[in-house]
Amino acid sequence: MNTTTLRNSTYLSLIYLFFYIPIIVLIVYSFNNTTFSLVWHGFTWRWYVDLFSDGDLWIATWHSFFLGIASATGATFLGMLTAVSLYRYRFPGRNFLNGLIFILILSPEIVTGAALLILFTFFHLPLGFMSLLLAHICFCIPFVIVTTYSRLISFDKNIFEAAKDLGASDFIIMIRIILPLLSPALFASWLLSFTLSLDDVIISYFVSGPEFQILPLQIYSMVRSGIKPEINALCSVLFCVTVTMVVLAQLALRKKT
Amino acid sequence: MKTDNHFKSLSLSVIWAWMFLFALLPFCLVIIASLMSHNESDLITLPTTLANYQHLNNSTYIRIFEKSFVIAGISTLLCLIIGYPFAYIIARMQSRWKSFLLLLVIIPFWTSSLIRSYALIAIIKAKGILNSLLIAFGIIDQPLAILFTNYAVMIGLIYNLLPFMILPIMTNVERLDQRLIDAAKDLGANRFTTFRKIIIPLTMPGIIAGSILVFLPAMTIFYIPDILGGAKSIMLGNLIQNQFLISQNWPMGSAFSAVLTLILVTLILVHVWVTRGNKKREWL
Amino acid sequence: MKYLVSAFLIFLLTPFAAQADDKVLNVYAWTTEVPDFVVHMFEKETGIKVNFSTYDNNEIMYAKIRTTKKSGYDVIMPSSYFVDRMARQHLLEKLDKSKLPNWKNINPSFLNPAYDPKSEYSTPYIWGITGIFYNDQYYKSGELKKWSDLWDARFYNKLMLLDDTREVFSMALLRLGYTANDHNPEHIKEAYIKLKDLLKNVKVFSTGTAVSIMIDEDATVGMAWNGDTFRASRENKNIHFIFPEEGFVIWVDNFAIPKNAPHKEAAYQFIDFVLRADIAKEVAVSTNFPTANLAGFKLLPDSIRNDPTVYPPKEVMRHAQFQTDLGDDTLALYEKYWEELKMSD
Repeated sequence: MNTTTLRNSTYLSLIYLFFYIPIIVLIVYSFNNTTFSLVWHGFTWRWYVDLFSDGDLWIATWHSFFLGIASATGATFLGMLTAVSLYRYRFPGRNFLNGLIFILILSPEIVTGAALLILFTFFHLPLGFMSLLLAHICFCIPFVIVTTYSRLISFDKNIFEAAKDLGASDFIIMIRIILPLLSPALFASWLLSFTLSLDDVIISYFVSGPEFQILPLQIYSMVRSGIKPEINALCSVLFCVTVTMVVLAQLALRKKT
Repeated sequence: MKTDNHFKSLSLSVIWAWMFLFALLPFCLVIIASLMSHNESDLITLPTTLANYQHLNNSTYIRIFEKSFVIAGISTLLCLIIGYPFAYIIARMQSRWKSFLLLLVIIPFWTSSLIRSYALIAIIKAKGILNSLLIAFGIIDQPLAILFTNYAVMIGLIYNLLPFMILPIMTNVERLDQRLIDAAKDLGANRFTTFRKIIIPLTMPGIIAGSILVFLPAMTIFYIPDILGGAKSIMLGNLIQNQFLISQNWPMGSAFSAVLTLILVTLILVHVWVTRGNKKREWL
Repeated sequence: MKYLVSAFLIFLLTPFAAQADDKVLNVYAWTTEVPDFVVHMFEKETGIKVNFSTYDNNEIMYAKIRTTKKSGYDVIMPSSYFVDRMARQHLLEKLDKSKLPNWKNINPSFLNPAYDPKSEYSTPYIWGITGIFYNDQYYKSGELKKWSDLWDARFYNKLMLLDDTREVFSMALLRLGYTANDHNPEHIKEAYIKLKDLLKNVKVFSTGTAVSIMIDEDATVGMAWNGDTFRASRENKNIHFIFPEEGFVIWVDNFAIPKNAPHKEAAYQFIDFVLRADIAKEVAVSTNFPTANLAGFKLLPDSIRNDPTVYPPKEVMRHAQFQTDLGDDTLALYEKYWEELKMSD
């Protein structure tokens, strides 16, 4: 058993390393004493100084996080509802709905973005937070559905039969049985959606308005003239904050048990 | 029974309303657009025409499609090979560190993928970290030319899409009933056979879900071939992008998208048909 | 719980908070070309709040403005031939020069350009030239003089080219003696054939990472903008720029006001502000891009003003060609050849 655990731990560590080495590089380079080069030129704090005096970047960051949380929650809710309905009910158009979901994932972002923009223009929806939120929920939902559904079909259908026999309504079954069993999938879906929303560029370009700035657009716009390490500084700060929050949450949970 | 119907109808209404507005309508728009024309003053205009689809039958486009398909396919396969064991190990952990470990996987991806791609460049370029280390240790004399090749593109794809493979598989492996594995052992199966005959089929829904969530974006992502691949060849994502932005030919871009959708849906349907004997096809 | 919901709703509605008209300005531009401090100075002097949105290529800005005629933006920054195109499609306001007293500061060479013959729609701001860069550690100066030099066999797998259809084709067209704005399908095809030959020399196509590629010597020779080369040369002294003899393309980024802009007065104030000599000078110094503002140019420190890379002498500028709009059909032809070019290996 020891060799298995050792082997497992080694494998896990390697993969984590794979994920984190670029992050470490990113953080290290935020101290790089050069504006455009991607080679190390010495240590400096100036990018952090620049960063902390740049109010606009922080506002955009806050907007992105807020949008991400809202979209992930909305998408997880709607996606879960859809996955459960697809799983439990036979209704007209079920296969068609299936197809629609796949098409949503398959659509290149630029097509989705353009189509949504046309849609919003047609309905005279002003571009801004709402349009972004709707668009983000829209492209996150299929990921939620796929993740949730793949867990649903490993359920033992007998549970539902038993519950029904005992007189439980659909709603109760949903709340008491399905949701708890699904919670890991829901958690995973929420995380996926949040990740997707934070990083979306193309769809956001099309449906964003002048008054709600988000971070990915700011970053991508710097590409043309070269990305300065100030952005690395921002990403490093965000990264450290999130990791700290997660570690603190974990420690808090430990205390509970 | 009444409450039953209420809940069911409410759910279905909400779902259909959303899907109608944000999935069906845009999709119809795309199909309609692909059958239209365009001119200097209007992005999409009459007359309707099949010309866009006819233009698709072009050897360059077919080669672009093939190339994207191959690169996306290899990347997906590698994601599966790398990601499955990872998902398996974490899912089967009893420890309460499990969700923490899961979060640790996701957190790097809350950093802009563009910036992480730049970090990848800093690592693999000629004067980058990897080459500097390898040369310093005397393992190689000349820097490895990884950047601006297809390998760099695949590394970038795998790096960015691996969580999309890991998460669905994980949620699936968690449902694995240990008793089945024990039973197999009792019946004399070795680890490999158990894996092949029990674990893989039972986690197939997760594998398929993960593969779909990786393969499809891999086909249409455009900035990774640009930044890491040196933009030396065009992949499907760039092609469609160019149609929309540079050629301002939205009908053509829509046609591309529609055909891409059609091909991939066909592939999925083929898979469904082929595995129709298998109980687990109820996934679709 | 209730407080959470209220807080959530307040956050939700804050972005909608109606702002007094003309005390707000929505700018849609390239972030790196309008430095933050300029925006902040404007806000302080006028009390107008600026919402600064960004994009990274003209095409996507154009696609958005074209699709939703009421995009909500007051000031946009189209490059040369996009002014041409957008004006023809009635997407831009005719500028009321009486509201732009600082118009006189503009360098006359940039007024009435081919893409806006009466300078009715655009205000030139920053410009650039596409030429050849090289690293003198690897190549002697004087070795490279023209576009056709790049086709030389010793540049095998060494070149960096801009990842832009028109720029790359312009290079071939100019080499063949044609104009960079050629409509003739025969000429375009010739250019395509010439470019196929060049492909084996190309190591990377790039627009965004160009500067770091030059500095880190991932590519040691190729096609680049003079502004980028100048900035690269400040971190790597071996990098130099030449203006090819056959001619070269000049692009100009302009400020323009889209039709249906909600805050026109504020827009005029902003554009006039940027046209001020001192502001133009600050922008030029901070971004290292060549400025189209003559009054601002005169205030520049000698080290930049006399740098031939950034501000070439008049005789050199005679070979410059402004990019004009080619029209959808011709662009589609270019695009078709571009796709075949990239897939031809």
